[in-house]
Amino acid sequence: MAGFLRRARGAAGKAVDLSSGHHLPNLRPGKQPPDPSWLPRQRRGTTPQMVGRYPDYDVFDARDTWDEATTRVVEERMAVESGGPLSFFREDEAATLRAFCDTCTAQDSDPRVPVAELVDQKLAKGQLDGYQYYDMPDDRDTWHLVLAGLDEVARSRYGKEGFGALDAEAREALVGQLAAGALSSASLDRLNVKRAWSVCMRMILSAFYSHPFAWNEIGFGGPAYPRGYMRLGPVSTREPFERPGATSEDPVRVAPELEG
Amino acid sequence: MSLSLTRRVLKGALGPPANDSRFLLDPHRRDLPGEDTMARYPDSEEVDLCVVGAGAGGSVLAQRLARQGWKVVVLEAGPFWHPDEDWVSDEAGSHHLYWTQKRIIGGADPIEMGKNNSGRGVGGSMVHYAGYCPRFHPSDFATRTLDGVGADWPLSYDELRPHYELVERELPVAGQDWPWPEPHSYPYSPHPVSQAASVLWQGALKLGIQMRVGPVGITNGVFGNRPHCIYRGYCLQGCKVNAKASPYVTHLPDALAHGVEVRAGCMASRVELDESGRARGVVYLREDDPATPRLQRAKVVAVACYSIETPRLLLNSASPSFPNGLCNNEDQVGRYVMVQGASQTAGRFPEELRMYKAPPPEISSEDFYETDESRGFARGFSIQTVSPLPIGWAEHVLADGHWGRALREYMRDYNHWTTVGVLNELLPLPENRVTLAEEKDQYGLPVARFDYSQCDNDRANIEYSTRVITDILQAAGAQDILTIHRYAHLIGGARMGTSPDNSVVDAHQRTWAVPNLYLADGSVCPTQGSANPALTIMALASRLAEHLGGRRPG
Ligand SMILES: Cc1cc2nc3c(=O)[nH]c(=O)nc-3n(C[C@H](O)[C@H](O)[C@H](O)COP(=O)(O)OP(=O)(O)OC[C@H]3O[C@@H](n4cnc5c(N)ncnc54)[C@H](O)[C@@H]3O)c2cc1C
Ligand code: SF4
Repeated sequence: MAGFLRRARGAAGKAVDLSSGHHLPNLRPGKQPPDPSWLPRQRRGTTPQMVGRYPDYDVFDARDTWDEATTRVVEERMAVESGGPLSFFREDEAATLRAFCDTCTAQDSDPRVPVAELVDQKLAKGQLDGYQYYDMPDDRDTWHLVLAGLDEVARSRYGKEGFGALDAEAREALVGQLAAGALSSASLDRLNVKRAWSVCMRMILSAFYSHPFAWNEIGFGGPAYPRGYMRLGPVSTREPFERPGATSEDPVRVAPELEG
Repeated sequence: MSLSLTRRVLKGALGPPANDSRFLLDPHRRDLPGEDTMARYPDSEEVDLCVVGAGAGGSVLAQRLARQGWKVVVLEAGPFWHPDEDWVSDEAGSHHLYWTQKRIIGGADPIEMGKNNSGRGVGGSMVHYAGYCPRFHPSDFATRTLDGVGADWPLSYDELRPHYELVERELPVAGQDWPWPEPHSYPYSPHPVSQAASVLWQGALKLGIQMRVGPVGITNGVFGNRPHCIYRGYCLQGCKVNAKASPYVTHLPDALAHGVEVRAGCMASRVELDESGRARGVVYLREDDPATPRLQRAKVVAVACYSIETPRLLLNSASPSFPNGLCNNEDQVGRYVMVQGASQTAGRFPEELRMYKAPPPEISSEDFYETDESRGFARGFSIQTVSPLPIGWAEHVLADGHWGRALREYMRDYNHWTTVGVLNELLPLPENRVTLAEEKDQYGLPVARFDYSQCDNDRANIEYSTRVITDILQAAGAQDILTIHRYAHLIGGARMGTSPDNSVVDAHQRTWAVPNLYLADGSVCPTQGSANPALTIMALASRLAEHLGGRRPG
């Protein structure tokens, strides 16, 4: 029961009413979201860290409606393992890379979307976005420099051997400064830091939200050919295979299961 | 009955003349029919026309002239698509559709390229364009005279109108009767409006802003062998259904049936001149044998590589008589490249809206298109609904400054959001320019560098328009609002004009410098209005074909 109470209430100790939007960072003090523990436990399908808003939804339930080419692409992605081998990044970059990707996407436990491994694959294949700022190196070099820069700051500021050895709070602080373009080190000074942040984040986000675990978390319909959609409206219309999002009443419905 | 009344009553029952593409397509397979049986011309044969680039402009030109009996070869750098296998219903898996060869970006406001700007492969950028197909306004052709900014075109809207009407039937365009700029109707009825877009419409209504459904190049009903749209929302990843118009389905099937060879995997490296100063043909490199330059000989050459690559190809075609690049003795090549401001604002609502359903292009407004001096800037913008899929939505949330836990929270809220965007007319400036960078591509050719900076008018326009779409969301009752400033649509870079010292081509898109060299793509436009450019690029190519049609080279 204690677990249920913790889930049903936001960090502020009040039940979170989804329709009011009070869980949205911009509407909260300090622009910080509530702790994800208010979210219902995922019952179907896998989500990153098993948190999500659609506890009864699994995008794979509709797998038999996907075309072959798309199924192949999604399955190849599913075959990539978190913690698996890297080919673009060096052995000595792995810990920093993983810690950086985890921090940027708030992944603090398994199951994880294998962000680091997906980014590694893209860089190894040279799948870049097709542009390079005049004051920046090639995206591949940018990645090496950002990881080196994070390690340099971890050493100089915290006396740790690398970014991967920092605790969560320190990592978040450093990433926050990187995002603001306010982090400096020998390697980072060779970059336009704000642009470097955008180079890395574009790749990280495109890895994270390409993954079916993330689709489950956000209730996205996933591949839709040849099935398509029939029910475009009115507001709050759902296809038979779409599941409602958790609402403020939801924990009540969940309760017996959590106890049972 | 008048023609326009006939069109309104008969809608899609009136197919386009002289284009059988819709019947040539296979209802069960998406491959471009005729690839195996297509004509093949040896390099040594001097064909009538060599087109570079199988995109919006190049494909229409090739199809039209093939129908007039011209022997046409189209060189295309990218692949010959087989959509059943090559295209997927997946955002990240569509990366190969984009022009991702490197480009260097600079200036005070560098434009991020990649997925958002151009495509590479048979069908060009329209393979993954959104599908909005509005016309330019008559005023777009005379902004210098009317508003004292931009440039006048050496042709008028009236000259393009018949080609607009023709291309609208070929795509075919679906939409409500259009009140802007001169009332016209579309061959297909408007699509149903999704829940996400309907909320935006309510907001606009409250503010007295007129919105209309469409205009989109998406079938609403069957069109020959092209099926109805299935509202799956993946238009920007390539339409696996053949419902969305692109040259791949609208013009190339008919082109192949009339003897056009589309030679894919062939990167044009230079346009070659003969001693008399005429184009002799196009030198190209095959992806599978890049070390062997080949020359496709042709009586007429048309370059249609879009706004970055067309100037690049000209600049890479320097010769003793054109030391600074072909057609560039007057220093005009690569100048006046334009983009449109494309800021997007998303609003949060208590209900689930699931914006991933239905095509991203749904409803739009041209109420703010024309100059209104009270706004404090020249020219204007249009408003269009869009709907990012999850990766696009993540970029939107990131742009508002969120990452980590905050980003995850906004992402989990995806289904409660709806997104509206603008297209600002940004002005053509000579310093916004394509030049050659030091860096080389996989073929050893210097890549393009694109410098871009806004002027004060641009900034005022973007700021004002962002307020308008924010107001729409607020009027609709949005609980939270996130904004991303971005840019879309390339135009210009080798514009048409009245003389060699203000332009690269004349009113018929013929280069001033080389009598048998034409430019047949978006690079020729002197302004871009606030309308998405594909329909206009196709209409211009259709007009060019009409001009050339009767004059098959002897
Ligand atoms: C994401 C996105 C959304 C868009 N949405 C819309 C929309 O809703 N409405 C709209 O009207 N427009 C839209 N556009 C823009 C529209 O697609 C383009 O304006 C239009 O396709 C440009 O036509 P084009 O003929 O000039 O060039 P393209 O269609 O880009 O064709 C150029 C072709 O030339 C090839 N090429 C380039 N260089 C070489 C070379 N050296 N040798 C051989 N081949 C070469 C390229 O591979 C390409 O296939 C969108 C574009 C994108 C990318
Ligand atoms: S929504 Fe319609 S037009 Fe867009 S990709 Fe799907 S079927 Fe094609």
